[in-house]
Amino acid sequence: MTSINQEPTTPVSIESKPKVVVGFVCERSIPIQEMINQQRALSDDPNVKIVILPCSGMVKPSQMELALAQGADATFVCGCAMGDCHYRTGNIMIKERLEGERNPKLRKSTDRTKVGMFFFTMKDKRPFLEALAKFKASAIKS
Amino acid sequence: MYRKFLSLLKNLTVSLEKGINVLTTQEHNPLYFHGAIPLYIFWFLIFSGILLWMYYIPTLERAWSSVNYISALPVIEKGGVNLTDPSSGIPYGSIIRGIHRYGAAGMMIATILHMLRVYFTDRHRSWRWIPWISGVALLVLVLFVGITGYLLVWDNRAYALTVWTQAFIVAIPIVGVGLSNFFIGGQGITDYTITRFFFFHIGGASLIFFLMWWHFIRLKYPVVTPSRSTNFLVLGFILVAAGAIPAINITEELVSKYPSLTDQVAYVASDAPATIGTIVTNVRYDVWYMFPYYLIEKLGVTGAWWILGVSTLLLIVAPFYPKDRRDNIAEVIEAKCTGCTFCSLDCPFEAITMQERGPGSKFKLIAVVQEARCSECGICVGACPFQAIELPNMDSKAIDGDVLALLKQGT
Repeated sequence: MTSINQEPTTPVSIESKPKVVVGFVCERSIPIQEMINQQRALSDDPNVKIVILPCSGMVKPSQMELALAQGADATFVCGCAMGDCHYRTGNIMIKERLEGERNPKLRKSTDRTKVGMFFFTMKDKRPFLEALAKFKASAIKS
Repeated sequence: MYRKFLSLLKNLTVSLEKGINVLTTQEHNPLYFHGAIPLYIFWFLIFSGILLWMYYIPTLERAWSSVNYISALPVIEKGGVNLTDPSSGIPYGSIIRGIHRYGAAGMMIATILHMLRVYFTDRHRSWRWIPWISGVALLVLVLFVGITGYLLVWDNRAYALTVWTQAFIVAIPIVGVGLSNFFIGGQGITDYTITRFFFFHIGGASLIFFLMWWHFIRLKYPVVTPSRSTNFLVLGFILVAAGAIPAINITEELVSKYPSLTDQVAYVASDAPATIGTIVTNVRYDVWYMFPYYLIEKLGVTGAWWILGVSTLLLIVAPFYPKDRRDNIAEVIEAKCTGCTFCSLDCPFEAITMQERGPGSKFKLIAVVQEARCSECGICVGACPFQAIELPNMDSKAIDGDVLALLKQGT
């Protein structure tokens, strides 16, 4: 039987400072107001900091670049479900900007693996958290 | 209270759509193409309508028989069941008429669903008033075109509907009688009446295009084509219905020979040819187009006017209530604007126009926000590489500051 006090088999790295993710979230997509704490971090994962915007289309790619440059380990944007943006095209706009199809684009030098995008409805809290965990695992590993 | 009601409706709609997303994924959810579906069906109505037009003869004597000529089906018996053979007569004429008949029902259903979905998700108010009001006009026009389509068959039902429509129009003070004569093309029912209905039907359908232009004028990227899967789904419904329950004219011969078959098609079929002066008692109302006549029968002309008038009025005032606080309208910072047009290209509601700058500026154009059209969404802010357009309550600097503060705060 494994004791709870047993030494972990893999030694924890000395410089394992928490990995921080900055998310830009549309206020009309996932129910973000009820998902964050007073420090504007996700209650389920305090390392994920949230900036709330009226629409995902308001996000500038340069703001995501800024987050990465200033120490975030990954960044993401979350908008309404594709086909159901409250303002018609906000989610399409940011998707195209991040994919380099619409100006202003994400810089070519930006590490794409650290930039995520999610599109969910206000009823998709759980699927969002699952997708975010997956993204975090892959983005921070790389 | 009303806001809470709107929010409840939105919750219900999103819950339903979330369920559908599980089955179809977001890209193929038919409800996300609610506005494009009526337009998609409209193309089929035009196409099938042109084919029907080739055989239709708009006179009192021959209207009914020309429609019958298109869609009459020889009855064949297979295993004791009476079936119709669509490949005889005008080959697949009944299918073309069926596409027109079911397409019309589908268009009204899709239009109403579109309207409800827009209302339920609170996308009808404020800066969206033009799409909404033009949508109300389109709804009335689709109803009008549909009703005139039923009149063209010139069966017993068409005659009854004509008489009731006249009564409905005559009730309008002062101009009622004149309008009624205009409606039937003279003092009494003649060949001109059918020609007039024919004009109303096709003229009305053409007018739909004009109203569509009005409907889309404030939308930068209107969704006009459903996803391919939705296209197949809608077309499949129409074709299966047209083949399974053919839209035909019911003749006395058909009733006496094949009573069970006539029962099956009764809802979509047309009656025997009209007899002027005789109004049949058991008119079958098509739910989607003939509800005004049901109201006329149950409540009388005045009651029907009240109900239809008040509901239309409520639809017209819906986008203006409740009023939103409009305190975050996008502002252009003149000194920074280079006139690159990105914001104007991306604004979903055509709220930003590019105007000539006067002499003395090194840039040719400047973005100008038309306040009444602005939705305060900030998409223009995301489009601007120069921080030259901002939402006053949340400018780019504040967001950058937010990002830095969040990163500084640690965990």
